[in-house]
Amino acid sequence: MMMDYQSYEKKIVPYIDGTLSTDDRNEFEAFVATHPDFQEKLKVKQDEIFALRSLIPNVTLSATSRATLEGEMKTSVYNLIKERPKNVVEYMKNFYQEMTNR
Amino acid sequence: MKRSEILLLAQPLAERLYQVAYSIIPDDLQAEQIVIDGFNAFLLKESRKLTATHFDSQNKKEVLVQRKNIFKMILKNICDIGLRRSAQLNDQLGIDQPAEFKSYFSLDAKVRLIMRLRYDLQLNTSDIEEILGFARHEVIEKIHNGRFLLMNDLNKEAVV
Repeated sequence: MMMDYQSYEKKIVPYIDGTLSTDDRNEFEAFVATHPDFQEKLKVKQDEIFALRSLIPNVTLSATSRATLEGEMKTSVYNLIKERPKNVVEYMKNFYQEMTNR
Repeated sequence: MKRSEILLLAQPLAERLYQVAYSIIPDDLQAEQIVIDGFNAFLLKESRKLTATHFDSQNKKEVLVQRKNIFKMILKNICDIGLRRSAQLNDQLGIDQPAEFKSYFSLDAKVRLIMRLRYDLQLNTSDIEEILGFARHEVIEKIHNGRFLLMNDLNKEAVV
């Protein structure tokens, strides 16, 4: 069943939030595509969300912290994940990797 | 999946994971520790599944899909550990809130986290429900509250 104009207005925020079902989303997008005035309303709301995103800090890792974190990840993977070697050569290779990783 | 392949998938996620952890506890060292603990918990829980998974590192599409899956699984552990730690630290530590994002850091830790997942990482509500183990209505309510409070502050700033 098709929704009326007001129903579509109520769906703007859930649409931006990604909380609409796939069917509702498809129907909403089809409606927007055929209603230029509604596209404007949607754009205003989307701009508002864009402004909101600027209030969420975009923290970055320093080069040292990134290296530390990636190093810790590597150590964890080599300590916690056990690989079953296929042959002696691979066994020695794994052993060497583990030793150099310590 | 080999250890080198797990690293190939997980290491590029370090900064994103750190940003999520920082949203829960805005402290560099605490956030880094949450990422490390969350990653370890993920490896301990999923080691068998990971080593049993066939992975073709030459297939770019497969790399992206597997990286997204791993990202969600690590996030689950980071959010779980981070929120529990945040509740414990709340009364014990007076962590300074960064001055330039006052309105964001004045939100509750769960709301901050959900705002990060939804608006920065652009995850949908189903993914957020799965990662945090919250009910759908709770996720939607927190998205609405967070957006309302942030927009209110933004509008106040615009008036001043």
